[in-house]
Amino acid sequence: MSAEQRTSSLYTEPKQQLRKRSRKAEIVAREPRGIRMPKAVRRLQRNAPAYAMQGLVELSSRLRQMTGHEIIDLNRVMELAQFAYQQREVARRGANYEVDDFGFDPQWTESFLIAFKILYRDYWRVETTGIEHVPATGRALLVSNHAGVLPWDGTMIKTAMFVEHPQPRHVRALVAGLFMGTPMLSWFLRRTGQTVGHPDDTRRLLERDELVLVFPEGVRGTGKPFKERYRLRRFGRGGFVATAIRAGAPIIPVSVVGSEEIYPMIADLGPVARAFGLPYLPVTPFWPWLGPLGLIPLPSKWRIQFHPPVHVEAHPPEAADDRTFVMGIADQVRATIQKGVYENLKMRRGVFT
Amino acid sequence: MISLRPRRVLITGVSNLLGAEVARRLAPQVPFLFGCDVADPVSALEDMDFVHADTRHVVIGKLIRQLHIDTVVHMAVAVDSAREDRAAHETNVIGTMNVLIGCTGPASPVERLVVKSSQAVYGAGATDPSFFSVEMVGAERQGGSFVTRDLREMEQLVGEFADRSSACRVTVLRLGYRVAEDTKLAKYLLLPIVPTFAGFDPRLQLLHEEDAAEAVVRAAMGEHAGTYNVAGAGVVLVSQAIGIMGGRAAPVLFPYGRWMARFGLRAATGIDLPGHLADLLTYGSVADCSRLAAQFGWTPAYSTRAVMDAFARGKEAEVIEAPSPPQEYELQVYLQRRRRAERNRLPVDSLAVRR
Repeated sequence: MSAEQRTSSLYTEPKQQLRKRSRKAEIVAREPRGIRMPKAVRRLQRNAPAYAMQGLVELSSRLRQMTGHEIIDLNRVMELAQFAYQQREVARRGANYEVDDFGFDPQWTESFLIAFKILYRDYWRVETTGIEHVPATGRALLVSNHAGVLPWDGTMIKTAMFVEHPQPRHVRALVAGLFMGTPMLSWFLRRTGQTVGHPDDTRRLLERDELVLVFPEGVRGTGKPFKERYRLRRFGRGGFVATAIRAGAPIIPVSVVGSEEIYPMIADLGPVARAFGLPYLPVTPFWPWLGPLGLIPLPSKWRIQFHPPVHVEAHPPEAADDRTFVMGIADQVRATIQKGVYENLKMRRGVFT
Repeated sequence: MISLRPRRVLITGVSNLLGAEVARRLAPQVPFLFGCDVADPVSALEDMDFVHADTRHVVIGKLIRQLHIDTVVHMAVAVDSAREDRAAHETNVIGTMNVLIGCTGPASPVERLVVKSSQAVYGAGATDPSFFSVEMVGAERQGGSFVTRDLREMEQLVGEFADRSSACRVTVLRLGYRVAEDTKLAKYLLLPIVPTFAGFDPRLQLLHEEDAAEAVVRAAMGEHAGTYNVAGAGVVLVSQAIGIMGGRAAPVLFPYGRWMARFGLRAATGIDLPGHLADLLTYGSVADCSRLAAQFGWTPAYSTRAVMDAFARGKEAEVIEAPSPPQEYELQVYLQRRRRAERNRLPVDSLAVRR
């Protein structure tokens, strides 16, 4: 009798209460807060993405029939949907994620990749050559020229590895310590896999068989005035060569064209910059006159060329202490990049085309 | 000349949770254990002879010589102290100097010295490398907060002592940041809405209390001279740590001129964040512990994430206040005196309380 009573009470309980009691139910779908919609509306809400996709496909084919052109590119739509999905996944994981010792969060980084792919493909229309020189596995040191006021060239090299390479890899760029002290930027850079430009960090990354990107010009490259564009600055004291020899990593020179025109720097407010601890404070035709709008980079035409690797790992580690040898290699790499920059400039018809 | 096992061990600064844990672990391993501090011990330990002594007075040297101490575990180093900076400086620099004076001299019985330092000795800055290895404290690193400067000065004194006296083996342990009930970092992370420095989300590396105690004990019992970083494996981001604790991060603190942010935080929440922790919460600090693993053959059992998880679980658990009440301490002292009297074959009635 009592058992029957219990079962009956179990089945006569309102459904809502059952749902609340069940622990599984909360994992599957959290009870939405606020007003509970009628069932028909809820079903519509649930199926809205599918209906929207169906409608878009229909609309796209109609428009194609009517005009004879592709008006709505379904691939782009799918990418946007994927972006929204990834963002939701990242938001959902809460504090249950792991970052590596450098503070790199791969899932978070990949969730933003589509935004950078759009910049890469549609905004700067990047043309990349020589991607086959980058190894699919193992350590390597990418060395590139550095330009533009903000390090957009680094993001485009990273995106190129994902768009063009048959086996996409994350590129870990080395950033000047000054950027690491800047609010927002430091947080974003660390989280997307960048680290401080310190020989110790380079060594550690290479020892973990990572693909490391270094800009030997540093802030001297990004902060140079517009009239000196595409003229490479001094390559430091060749520290990157010594680190590559010690870690046994090949050096791959990279030439980037187009990054110089994104923020044409007319003047530098040096004293103001120093007061804020910044390396430079540029004046461009749009910054600071238009406020935050001045931060939008100009849509110049970009070309990236990966050169054949310089195999410094063939030399013994002791060669890293030979100053003339190291400087020789650094000069050779610099000359390769400079030559690549001039060649790619010739291949470009205009700054924006 | 160095005997195989430590026989007579003195722990300075024993009256805190970490000191008590170290004493508890050392007690069964050494024949004679002594402890000293200015405050009463937090938990009574029958095997330890406790004496109220302040390292800030030269008398500590006399204590070391009179008790024929062969191993000094110097833990009276205030890193996360509630006291003001001046007192912390006195304890850290002058106190360590007095202990070192007690250990020097031709007739010094001291053969081993273990000094508790902190990862705070590195400070934290924007241009620092992602990992601090042991050699990265030197003349080239200037500035930093009060605690960082004091610790650097203290380690310099210890280093000079180690160079001078070859008869004494010196181990310096740079313990990672800890989140126990009483540290400022823990109080900060326990806030329901945690004000963070706007635009920064640095990496945190933490050390569990048990691992800290174990490292000190291993250093005291082992044969490892030199300086070691001790911290858990892996990192968590500050926002992640706040998420694990069930709080919510509010990026409202202005990251430049951090004394203003500290002042605001104290006014709003009552937490007086020391300068080195403000630097840590802006730029982060991670130590390279490979030397510890290589020399000690031991790594901390808790990873940083495990430390955070344990701390989050502890938040739900009920805290048992006062593990040993004052009466128990009195009782332990009585038993100790009785034991000593028996050892010295004194009449038992000499123990009678004289009033």
